[in-house]
Amino acid sequence: MKEMEKIQRISIVSTLFILVVIIGLLTYKRPKNIFTINTKPSLEKLTTDNFFMTIENSNNSNFQLIDVRSSYEFEKGHLENAINMATPDILDEENLSIFKELKNKNKTALLYGKNPEDANPAFLILYQLGYDNIKILTIETSYFQNKLIAKNREVEKSENDIQAFITESAKNSDATSEIKTVQPVKKAILLQQKKKKKAEGGC
Amino acid sequence: MIKKQTAKVLALRYKFLAFILFILAGGLVLLPKYQKNEGIKPEQLLSNVISSERYISTDQIAHKIINQDRSAILIDVRDENSFNKYTLPNAINIPLKKILDEEASVYVNQNQYDVVFFSNDNFYSDQAWVLCNRLGYKNLHVLKGGINRWFNTIINPPKPTEDMPEEAFNLYATRKASSMYFGVVYPDQVGIKTSELVKKTAPKQIITVQKKKKAPEGGC
Repeated sequence: MKEMEKIQRISIVSTLFILVVIIGLLTYKRPKNIFTINTKPSLEKLTTDNFFMTIENSNNSNFQLIDVRSSYEFEKGHLENAINMATPDILDEENLSIFKELKNKNKTALLYGKNPEDANPAFLILYQLGYDNIKILTIETSYFQNKLIAKNREVEKSENDIQAFITESAKNSDATSEIKTVQPVKKAILLQQKKKKKAEGGC
Repeated sequence: MIKKQTAKVLALRYKFLAFILFILAGGLVLLPKYQKNEGIKPEQLLSNVISSERYISTDQIAHKIINQDRSAILIDVRDENSFNKYTLPNAINIPLKKILDEEASVYVNQNQYDVVFFSNDNFYSDQAWVLCNRLGYKNLHVLKGGINRWFNTIINPPKPTEDMPEEAFNLYATRKASSMYFGVVYPDQVGIKTSELVKKTAPKQIITVQKKKKAPEGGC
């Protein structure tokens, strides 16, 4: 009799175990969006790949223009054949499906906003989600008589030589005066050496 | 008889259980794919990114430097050449490529100081911010407009015209004074006592960054 009880218990436990696993599997919801690239590889790609596009080269059937400004701005004026997709809505299902479709068709999406910085956040998020068919159109948009005007803009261009400007200003004022330019002292920073991680876990 | 039957059933049961466990173990093969989902969720990152809370203005930074506010670490994410040419006082150079390196994480991943990224504009600094924010690092900021705006507002502030409100003049006066602090000399400034202007060296600032201690993981 004892044997029988044992078997019964085992069968109960095993069915419960399997039930729990099945329930777990059924209720598990896959997150809607998953980053497909980790931060380090994406940083490496970001710093090596060229993802800028100028407006002269954009007139090609392989490209799809995407306006990341708000719909209000879009209504005011936009580039020809552009789709509006405001940055906050970039993860909406229909918007993502557009990107998927473009990827399937081997087309490249060109993001643009008020300036390249404006298109940057949307680009970064989509890029890390694995849409690598995306580039930034390096233009600056402005309005002239209610018409949108786009002109190329170099990203992260150093506009002025500040050091030269400062020394120049000192020269111009009076060479004989005793004014010296003050260079704030560089601060010394003591780094705490990173300790080796202790072994984790184990029994 | 009964014993024999039960033994048969018992053996089957174990086979069945073993089979199920095998399938579950097969599921482990799929796991590495999900490790890629490191850091916060895309939706969360998006909502962080569209808020402009991270931006800090050039005036605020100038104010901080002049008042020797030590709560902020300035990080220049441009390359070394540009850094050597000109950078903000007391800034540290961590090129964008190295922003996620071990050495950089001592500065970037800590809770003691505010971190301000800057570059020529705020394009590369934004990228640094987005990647670090995805990893959940705290107290990160971006200098709005970067070095270019720094030049146009602080180093070389535009003179207000006559028809501008008083605030514009006040702002100009403040900015002009701060540009003097950063070494710019104005023609009308000569003749005033020069001695006062000469030595205002910022004291050495020593930052000790302590790595956050991680809670021990694992164990039984």
